[in-house]
Amino acid sequence: MKVEQFSLDQLRTLLAGSGLRVKAGPFNLSIQTCLPSLTDQLYRMYSHYSLVDETEIAEFHVRIIPKHSIRRPFVRLIQFQVDGRAPFPPVPVEQALATLEWGINLVIAMRVNHLLLFHSAAVERNGHVLLLPAWPGSGKTTLCTALIHRGYRLFSDEFGLMDPQSGEFFPLPRLMPLKNQSIGVIRDYLPEAVLGPEIPGTLKGTVAHVRPPQESIERADETAKPRWIVFPKWSAGAALRLESLPQSEAFLLLATNAFNYEVLGETAFDAVTSLVRNCECRKLVYSDFDSALAALDELTDG
Amino acid sequence: MAKVDTRPDHHRLLLETIVQPASLTGYDNRQWELLLRLARRAQLSGYLAAKLEKDGLLDSIPARASNLLRSSLIQARKQQQSVSWELNRVMWALDGQEIPVIVLKGMAYLLQDLPNAPGRMFADLDLLVSKENLGQIESSLLKKGWQHHALTDYDERYYREWSHEIPALVHPERSVEVDVHHTLSSPLGKLKIDPLPFREAAVKVKDAGIYVLSPEDMVLHCAVNLFQNNELADDLRHLLDFHEMMLFFSSQQPFFQQKLIERANQLGLGNPLFYSLYFSRLLLRSAIPDDLEKQLDRQPGWLARRVMHHCVPLALLPQHPDHPSRMAGYARMWLYWRSHWLRMPLYRLVPHLAYKFYLSVFPARAETSK
Repeated sequence: MKVEQFSLDQLRTLLAGSGLRVKAGPFNLSIQTCLPSLTDQLYRMYSHYSLVDETEIAEFHVRIIPKHSIRRPFVRLIQFQVDGRAPFPPVPVEQALATLEWGINLVIAMRVNHLLLFHSAAVERNGHVLLLPAWPGSGKTTLCTALIHRGYRLFSDEFGLMDPQSGEFFPLPRLMPLKNQSIGVIRDYLPEAVLGPEIPGTLKGTVAHVRPPQESIERADETAKPRWIVFPKWSAGAALRLESLPQSEAFLLLATNAFNYEVLGETAFDAVTSLVRNCECRKLVYSDFDSALAALDELTDG
Repeated sequence: MAKVDTRPDHHRLLLETIVQPASLTGYDNRQWELLLRLARRAQLSGYLAAKLEKDGLLDSIPARASNLLRSSLIQARKQQQSVSWELNRVMWALDGQEIPVIVLKGMAYLLQDLPNAPGRMFADLDLLVSKENLGQIESSLLKKGWQHHALTDYDERYYREWSHEIPALVHPERSVEVDVHHTLSSPLGKLKIDPLPFREAAVKVKDAGIYVLSPEDMVLHCAVNLFQNNELADDLRHLLDFHEMMLFFSSQQPFFQQKLIERANQLGLGNPLFYSLYFSRLLLRSAIPDDLEKQLDRQPGWLARRVMHHCVPLALLPQHPDHPSRMAGYARMWLYWRSHWLRMPLYRLVPHLAYKFYLSVFPARAETSK
């Protein structure tokens, strides 16, 4: 059963009651809120997600609750809670969706250590994963959004989830937060992309979420092995460059980029070593999507 | 005599798991989900994972549970490694200064390989030194790169004048807090603890300079932390430390329990030991003789016992994550007051709590000094 098969009223009852239990890749989430605005947004943005079977374990329990502040009595505030604890200060009610999504990412990053968590976008083509790790100015979410509307399957725009033993990557298709100018860029380039409301004033500026394509959510159980690692960099007016990157450099970039590299220690060292050895590593500089997509298509064709 | 267990279901679930880890192979997924949330809140998921791993059960439980528990265990091991390394660095910074350093709490359990150490979560390194050596240690660590967090003038004064430790020291390249204590409880508190006998009885571990408290003192310190220093909320893990140590030392040394009682009487620590024995038996079914605490010179009065009997379990055990009980909220509030009351005389306590309340409403007013 999927979220879209509910009526809005049924969804509201669930969210305000025992919680909406949805499958997010390898994890099950339980989400609670009684905020009508957030309920409406989730109804649209989460429509393709499958419900978790009642008898399955949900790993993460999150909640968005209204909050009153003595200092700001006239602002409607909300707070993100996980298992009844609040890791962030309250924010205005308009930021509920962005806070929920960031909160879920935080919980995954803080609690998951049986997988190695790269801070990276990941997409799949021809049965293999293309990693687009985050580094300053990478614009990974924007590029990832373009790719998944041009034939690539979304794994995640934020997490490369790697099983350190088998080397398999797990899809975690979730809403993708576009920031500031990227929102207009994507609206122009991909009119078919389904975007959530524009949320101004967050810590990262204005944010609008892209809804993951239905197919990537339906195939979220299909893991894959990585084959390409591309460090993207958007640079205004730059000519396209797709250069090979020495394995040693790719190793350092990936090791410093993984959320839990230090925590996993030797396991992570071995996993990143074999990852880099088994992948083609590239550096991509681009200024327009068309040429970047063409270059990545060529890379992932064979 | 069989008594009806009137505890809430989620408390029973958590306690049953701790007392009888093998029982959880029979849990259904709903119980698992609740247990995982409770264990995380009680900071016991690493401990549980270590127990299950030792018994070879981590693969016979649902995969999602096993993944989360494994994740906690990996995290706990990393923390233990970080704190061990911090101790190594502190000893390096103090090299050649002949200052005896006594390691307390989590790191001490680890150094001694106690049964409560595997999977135990702790992020701080707690050390005890003599008051005379305090200045030298602090300046040595500051010279080698450790720093104090930016503190308000108020907090600075609170630590320096009223507390049993100096403000935490952190090396900017690492995230482990080093807490240097000169005694084991607030110097303003009603219970006066002389740190000298603790230091004199300390046991050398291995390398020069590193000591831990003697077994009796380690157990007593745990009791003092629980029932004198802490506010008891979600503190089940410390009662579990007490329980595991009692069991372990009792099995190692034939007259351990007797020596413990004598030591408590000698140091005037009957009250905290009384409560620790009582609640360890009540909640964790510790195999401790029923009348052991009767031999203590100091024992709480019957009224205090009644109140504590009802309040302490509600505070020690985690709240239900979806249905917090109001009763438990009141119990926790009362124990919060109690812990402050024990640590400070009223004329200090009232302004202190008033100031803390003020800051909770106007956090921006807490301007850091300098």
